[in-house]
Amino acid sequence: MTAEATGFDDQPADVVLTIGGMTCASCAARIEKKLNRMDGVTAATVNYASEKAKVTYGGTVRPEDIIATVERTGYTAALPSPPAGSRDAAAGTERDEHGDEAGAWWQRLLISAVLAGPVTLVSMVPALQFDNWQWLALTLAAPVVVWGALPFHRAAWTNARHGTATMDTLISVGVTAAFVWSLWALLFTHAGAPGMRMEFTLPNARSGGTHIYLEVAAAVTAFVLAGRYFEARAKRSSGAALRALLDMGAKDVAVLRDGPGGRSEIRIPTDRLAVGDLFVVRPGEKIATDGVVVAGASAIDTSMLTGEPVPVEVGPGDGVTGATVNAGGRLEVRATRIGSDTQLAQMARLVEEAQNGKAAVQRLADRVAAVFVPIVIALSLITLAGWLVAGGSATAAFTAAVAVLIIACPCALGLATPTALLVGTGRGAQLGILIKGPQILESTRRVDTIVLDKTGTVTTGRMSVASVHPIAGGSTDEVLRLAGALEDASEHPIAKAIADHARDAVGTLAPAERFVSHGGRGVAGVVEGHAVVAGRGSWLRDEWAMTLPDPLLEVVERAESEGRTAVWVGWDGLVRAVIVVSDTIKATSAEAIERLRDLGLRPVLLTGDNGRAARAVAAQVGIDAADVIAEVLPAGKVDAITRLQRSGRVVAMVGDGVNDAAALSQADLGLAMGTGTDVAIDASDLTLVRGDLRAAADAIRLARATLTTIKGNLFWAFAYNVAALPLAAVGLLNPLIAGAAMAFSSVFVVSNSLRLRRFPAAA
Amino acid sequence: MTTQTFSVTGMTCEHCAGAVTGELKELSGVTDVTVDLVAGGTSTVKVASAQPIDEQDVAVALDEAGEYRLVAQ
Repeated sequence: MTAEATGFDDQPADVVLTIGGMTCASCAARIEKKLNRMDGVTAATVNYASEKAKVTYGGTVRPEDIIATVERTGYTAALPSPPAGSRDAAAGTERDEHGDEAGAWWQRLLISAVLAGPVTLVSMVPALQFDNWQWLALTLAAPVVVWGALPFHRAAWTNARHGTATMDTLISVGVTAAFVWSLWALLFTHAGAPGMRMEFTLPNARSGGTHIYLEVAAAVTAFVLAGRYFEARAKRSSGAALRALLDMGAKDVAVLRDGPGGRSEIRIPTDRLAVGDLFVVRPGEKIATDGVVVAGASAIDTSMLTGEPVPVEVGPGDGVTGATVNAGGRLEVRATRIGSDTQLAQMARLVEEAQNGKAAVQRLADRVAAVFVPIVIALSLITLAGWLVAGGSATAAFTAAVAVLIIACPCALGLATPTALLVGTGRGAQLGILIKGPQILESTRRVDTIVLDKTGTVTTGRMSVASVHPIAGGSTDEVLRLAGALEDASEHPIAKAIADHARDAVGTLAPAERFVSHGGRGVAGVVEGHAVVAGRGSWLRDEWAMTLPDPLLEVVERAESEGRTAVWVGWDGLVRAVIVVSDTIKATSAEAIERLRDLGLRPVLLTGDNGRAARAVAAQVGIDAADVIAEVLPAGKVDAITRLQRSGRVVAMVGDGVNDAAALSQADLGLAMGTGTDVAIDASDLTLVRGDLRAAADAIRLARATLTTIKGNLFWAFAYNVAALPLAAVGLLNPLIAGAAMAFSSVFVVSNSLRLRRFPAAA
Repeated sequence: MTTQTFSVTGMTCEHCAGAVTGELKELSGVTDVTVDLVAGGTSTVKVASAQPIDEQDVAVALDEAGEYRLVAQ
């Protein structure tokens, strides 16, 4: 019995493997299925996005067996490098991996470009062609073709084993054909003679055998590597959203322990908390984990879960959620759920599932190549056969057949997508739109529905005073002066809204003496010699024996029907006013919704907040009442998006909160407000930096324009080469034509992409 | 020699088409398989064989290959 990681007795063992060769989520699903069918494997999950497989196994199964199964399915599996000790180390590794990837491409690109430059120069300019130049070109081009293009060769080989073809296959075949042909020509024909010059004559059938295409092989490799490098640079880690979510939890917690001298408070890391532990949460602190309030009363900021800007009152017996913020008083909480059972962990799982579920659409360029490659190979064989049948020599036949392969390799193919993305993302950045995942722009389906979160997206998320209603004969200024001064002493968001508004209206606020906060019912104190109270109507009536005048009752009823909050203010024994406070709708939101409609999108409001507030906001910004989905938890938001998608719609979503993260991942296009949480930003594909909803309309238009540009680029990348195909087939190909095709297609692709720089923001 | 046509969902890329083709070819009597791939939608799979193949066997083979389902024509 060795010390391998075998499951022994009935103890299951876990292993995480890095899986390679997957091209889409279905590949991951297939591997997962095969692994789960293995005897001895109790559970296996394969994540396409992170390229990892996690397998729980027992019995006589060994990691090598698992790897073998993966390889039999047609992919690669490897045990990862020594495990990271902490979450931060793992985070650093993943960031490094992406940095490394871009760095690796850069290295390959640099060396290839440095070698390809002289080769191209000397091949294209006869004046530079000193004696035996072609051998120098060969020496310089060889490493480019063999090492520089190695990633393409490897990918082409893997694809061939699966019987498919992608852009890599096309590049590999073309570059190899050009190089091998040139090698043959140099060694076996007079192309290798010292005095050989490559002239640029118009095509004629006799010169077929003397041409070498080393510059094609080297330049194409360099161009495509450049494209890959740009794309690698643009890629951001997809695990960032999950990490940010998990980071949200409190790091340490003050636990109450019974000891010989009575109860004492000890600070321990949150990881060491156990179910049943009693812990303290002070005002302003994050609640460490899910639990039940044992003592104390307070208001909790639950915007993380529900998006509701108004804190929720809690007292003994009420449940609270980990990672929410205690806005009011001291609480003693007994832990009911810890670690991966908490709400926070569940939300992280939601995000992960949403990310996994998205089947990555095959890259556009690859789809074109998949069709193009078989056609080219067929054409090449037909050319070969045609020549032989027509009585041509084997040499002429091969010349033509190989020429077809060479010319079919579009040089600009590797640049078509990256240049458009580069210019598109650059222009977007100028407009305050950060495009994170380039691949998302290639999604060819048109978005027709846009789902908007309410709080923080359509509204500012901050409470503000909507109106002040003094009693008949009262003065607004006096109300604000007194109420503002009183509320200034409280931390509650509603209080702050009143205090700020008051400060704007009347200037410096007087201090409040003998300030007492009565939980969720109201606050009381002495301001300028008056005994002032502010809070719920029922409290003023029952506790302070104040009568609530009818006109003000009507005001309150109207406000509450719109989902707003009414604060009653009274002093010296009489009710003096009602202040209505609500979430503020952003000034630009209504206009933004209109623009989105103009683009053909149907807006839907999705919120965790209550229905009345939601419908009131929807009415004000121009969203149909029928398109309002309210009072949903984060899982509900994901469900809403999925339902829309299942009914055949292509859904974009705009959100800002942690409770939007999973839904943003699930949507076909996720947009985050730059003013929102990091989790939302990481979970989405686009970020609207300035938090202006109008940018969403611009972002959609930019995405569509970029996609159109990419398609145009692909067309031009192929066009010149396809036009030259007939010439190659009849044996009239020469390096001039090949070079011209390369040059023209590349120039067109780059200039077409640069047109994106002039993309206009909507007036 | 008969050719049967099936509608299959769940294929998203060429790898899927390859896997489906491989699994179906392993069914006894099957001589040829062609896949008309509709990524993310319903693809058409034509199976040529000496004798007609039981739909149940096809469904099992598809399931073996991955998350693929037979749907009614």
